[in-house]
Amino acid sequence: MIVAGAVLAVMLGAFGVGVWGVRLARTTSDLYVASRAVSSWWNAAAISGEYLSAASFLGIAGLEMKLGASVLWLPVGFAAGYLALLFFVAAPLRRFGSYTIPDFAEARLSSPRVRIVAAGVVLTIGGFYLVPQLKGAGLTLGSVAGTPYWVGVVAVGAVVALTVALGGMRGVTYVQAYQYWVKTFGIALPACLLLIYVGGLPERSALFGRELPRAPEGGLVVKLDSPQRVEFPEAARFTVDGRPERASAGEERTLSGRVVLPAGATVPVSEGTEAQRGGDWSRPVERSGPASPVFVYSLLLATFLGTMGLPHILVRFYTNPDGRAARSTTVRVLGLLGIFYLFPAVYGALGRALTPELYVKGATDAVVLELPKAAWPGLGGEILAALTAAGAFAAFMSTASGLLVSISGTLSHDVRRSSPADPPALRMGRFRRAALAGMVVPATLALFARGLDISVLVGWAFALAASTFCPLFLLGIWWRGLTARGAMAGMATGGTLASIGIFTTLVAGPVDGTLGALLAQPAAVSVPCAFVAMIGASVTDPERPRNTEATMLALHAPEGLGLEGLRSRA
Amino acid sequence: MKVIEVEAAGAPPRRTPRDELAETTPHGDIYLDRLIRRQLRLALLALAAFGGLVGSLPLLFLLFPSLEGLHLLGIPAPVLVLALPIFPGIVAIGLLYQRRADALDDAFRDLVSDDA
Repeated sequence: MIVAGAVLAVMLGAFGVGVWGVRLARTTSDLYVASRAVSSWWNAAAISGEYLSAASFLGIAGLEMKLGASVLWLPVGFAAGYLALLFFVAAPLRRFGSYTIPDFAEARLSSPRVRIVAAGVVLTIGGFYLVPQLKGAGLTLGSVAGTPYWVGVVAVGAVVALTVALGGMRGVTYVQAYQYWVKTFGIALPACLLLIYVGGLPERSALFGRELPRAPEGGLVVKLDSPQRVEFPEAARFTVDGRPERASAGEERTLSGRVVLPAGATVPVSEGTEAQRGGDWSRPVERSGPASPVFVYSLLLATFLGTMGLPHILVRFYTNPDGRAARSTTVRVLGLLGIFYLFPAVYGALGRALTPELYVKGATDAVVLELPKAAWPGLGGEILAALTAAGAFAAFMSTASGLLVSISGTLSHDVRRSSPADPPALRMGRFRRAALAGMVVPATLALFARGLDISVLVGWAFALAASTFCPLFLLGIWWRGLTARGAMAGMATGGTLASIGIFTTLVAGPVDGTLGALLAQPAAVSVPCAFVAMIGASVTDPERPRNTEATMLALHAPEGLGLEGLRSRA
Repeated sequence: MKVIEVEAAGAPPRRTPRDELAETTPHGDIYLDRLIRRQLRLALLALAAFGGLVGSLPLLFLLFPSLEGLHLLGIPAPVLVLALPIFPGIVAIGLLYQRRADALDDAFRDLVSDDA
């Protein structure tokens, strides 16, 4: 009850802040980019709030518990992505003053065709990133309130679509800033209190030593509602619905019902999970396997370069008043994300010691939600569980609404060309209809995509962004020679290679070795290829964009020289 | 005021680099090019600093597995390094970069709006 109440409070709070923001959203400029007059701290909290998705709030801890400390490269890459953005993109793009990524592409390269290609990529990345958010909402509401899967998907989808349609970007800016703090408190407070309550990290031998996770004193009770295929890493005796059973080392069994493991028995792991001893679990890099150096570097590259290409993040930089403010906002984002990312690792480690039943169920994704109750039985745990559930909901809602803003902005502004001459009421109406329409397809996909892995879809979005928009920005901003043909060739090359890798893994399952690592995490190949294709096709292109000089001036000239109005000439 | 009067009376008014930039003349382009190259050099330098700090870690952990035996606060050093000090390090690089980049912009502004 406490949990359901907290989730409801977060959703109502977000709606309330959104409605409060509506009073300020009067013009189209407000709807798209909050009139570019939001202060650096508000903006930084909003960007962080929008960025911290289900993958950050639930995924990092869950994957850490499942795969080990090698997963901790993920938050490093997630945060460092803003360094790349700060170094190469933040200030120039703000000075250029476009509403959306397709807007930038067209204005820089004076080609409407590039705009359409870029709009297609925005919709693809946005859509595929939105599906796992809604899916997470469906699963989480199901686990905390016992509702069917579709209820969470529809509820979060509806609240987000309404908030965006009514408030636009300005309303959403305040909602996102609010969500950042909900998430940070929701993950930090329980983590600190749990560490104090259990007295630091328990069962270090299973975390860092030679031990496999074992059933605690008093035994381990696992209720399996549906049959679950598990592997026993060591021989064990146990009972299923009261019947005594035994399994030999390495044996695979299908279990269902009430499984009880006696104290000290090693915990079986669900299919697809590898039973690891503490030393292996806590190794950040290994010579081979899912923590091989090729995989780690490719992952760091995808997250480092992919962040700048996420459409819902970039659109937020236009709400800074000038280039200098864009830089200071980005540095503040780094600080806010740095605070948040200190904590997910705590859940993964505590979960390995305190909620080993999640290994049996194959539900390590839920460790952030389940850990408080398991580690701290009673009211204390209940309240902390309510906090983490509220934070999880804030994560789905904020990322989903940020994505929806960029999707509906692209639909109403880029795909269907709007002209500045259109009356504001018409353009606002279009944006609002696009917001409602933009939610329908991803929500429908989410209803049917229950079996798809969240991290696969999110990983694909990052790899795709790093392979398409990252080269577009880096070359478009820093190299005069980029042409429309080059941009399209590069985006097509990078996007195709990234998609081939991810879909091969999705369809054929994980492949061993270096090739497998590059298929699962293709950025190390697809990003350089996209750059080469973009440069190659630009150099051989006889057609140059018009007025590159004026464009470069608009991108790089500092404010205060009276040069701002020059982009209209470009 | 005096200077302007003298100039107006004699030679045509002096053009500042700002005017050259505003009209995107080849002369203005040289100024802009220099700014872009300086900003890019700074960005690449900052990138190298980050790459050296964080990018070298996977290799470091791989080449020196004995680091695992080094426990701080009961946690193996590689895990602790990955979980705690990286984030303040990233912020520090960001702050240093921001100060230098803003300073480059300021210097450019002074340079091109200089009437002398």
